[in-house]
Amino acid sequence: MKRISRIAVSLFVVLLAGVLLASLAAMAAGGPSVEKIKQRGELKVGVKADVLGFGFKNLQTGEFEGYEIEIARRIAKEILGDAKKIEFVPVTAKTRAALLDNGEVDMVIATFTITPERRKIVDFSPVYYTDGIKLLVKKDAGIKSLKDLDGKVIGVAKGADTANRLKQQGEKLGASLRFAEFETYPEILSALQAGRVQAFSTDGSILKYYESLDKSTVLLPQRYSAEEYGVTTKRGNDDLRDLVARVITDLDKSGELDRLQDKFGIASEK
Amino acid sequence: MFSIENWLALLQDWRVFASGLEQTLIASVLGLLLAVVLGVVMGVFAAAPVGPLRLISRIYVEFFRNTPLVTQLFFYYHGLPRVGFTLPVMAVGVLGLGVYTGAFIAEIVRAGIQSVRRGQLEAAYSQGFTYLQAMRHIILPQTVRVVLPPLTNQFVNLIKNSSALSLIAGYDLMYQADSWSSYNLLYAVTYVTVAVLYLSLTLPLAWLTRRLEERFHRQWGGMSA
Repeated sequence: MKRISRIAVSLFVVLLAGVLLASLAAMAAGGPSVEKIKQRGELKVGVKADVLGFGFKNLQTGEFEGYEIEIARRIAKEILGDAKKIEFVPVTAKTRAALLDNGEVDMVIATFTITPERRKIVDFSPVYYTDGIKLLVKKDAGIKSLKDLDGKVIGVAKGADTANRLKQQGEKLGASLRFAEFETYPEILSALQAGRVQAFSTDGSILKYYESLDKSTVLLPQRYSAEEYGVTTKRGNDDLRDLVARVITDLDKSGELDRLQDKFGIASEK
Repeated sequence: MFSIENWLALLQDWRVFASGLEQTLIASVLGLLLAVVLGVVMGVFAAAPVGPLRLISRIYVEFFRNTPLVTQLFFYYHGLPRVGFTLPVMAVGVLGLGVYTGAFIAEIVRAGIQSVRRGQLEAAYSQGFTYLQAMRHIILPQTVRVVLPPLTNQFVNLIKNSSALSLIAGYDLMYQADSWSSYNLLYAVTYVTVAVLYLSLTLPLAWLTRRLEERFHRQWGGMSA
């Protein structure tokens, strides 16, 4: 028994020391503000690499392309006077908040939906795009709406708010839904093809691309929520948050956001 | 990062983590059983005086030991349904963990058998034992205490490796932790908690086998096989 308690105590001490060190490091690091970005001479932005029209890495050219990429460039131009001084860091729904928190990126522009819970942890800019949660299903499955998915499994992305939103909708319809969460969108498509899940659900703009990849699937027209995207900055970086808010508001007022949406073929059906 | 509110938020949803721990435990125990059965059979094959058996064992061990567990799990989860076999995800987990770990255990069992002096087998033959009888009554009992420490390593590894199930929506501890933390954006408290929960599974196992080792040592003394 003596040995056990000794092991337990030393383990506890090690864990405690780790936690303390991590907390200290977090405090010392602070957050990158506008001044820090200027000193570095480069803006680091977390973007999607697999969402066509928003943030998509072109495999031929190796360049990031899309609506959110353009917004990032406008912000880089505002801060550094050069839209090219920018490093894109690919993120997923699961990794984006953590990368922002540990300072790997200055901001995240990655189909990040504004929710009350998230507002407590990170700062959002004004809305730059409104999308809705939709369902991608197999054509031959005979599924026409969320109600038909009663007792079935829906594949969603880890870290996305899709499951909670659908759960609320499901309760209204009297459908009990089950969920399976995956790291990436292609894995969810694969799970749908393999029959592991009966629907693939995320924002409609994202699903459109996967519908085009697999001709045996169909995107159901109903929207199950209004997903409002905002540029995310770390809590405490107020100067950066205000600057981003100004850029987004200007782009919106001048009609530039609408023009960009048309350019990338993602103009939302209003 | 480690504020009281964050810990309270986690405590409030303790059921999420409890259900994850339960799934991890089930997958680990069943996976372990499969791994031991496969490992002993394939280990005995590897030490058998029959060429084809040794070949089967060799292929099994080299294939499953030298490919990543995640690849194997993806194959069972995404691949098999496309040829008509849709195993439930828990079965995928047990199969994946069992077959993968069994390959390592087979090597340990083979080495254990070969560490028993050849004279033991010859003596057993001279007493009229068949190969299988000699294995069962003479050789394998002696290997147990030799293979126990490396086996513990494999058991502990299996429990930790079960976290790979999170990548195929296995509803295990790691899956629930990923899901909860990325939805609530609270990472630090979650993964510290998860580390402690995994320790709560692995440490008692390590302790138990150390006790067993000590008991064997008392029974057998320092006698070498």
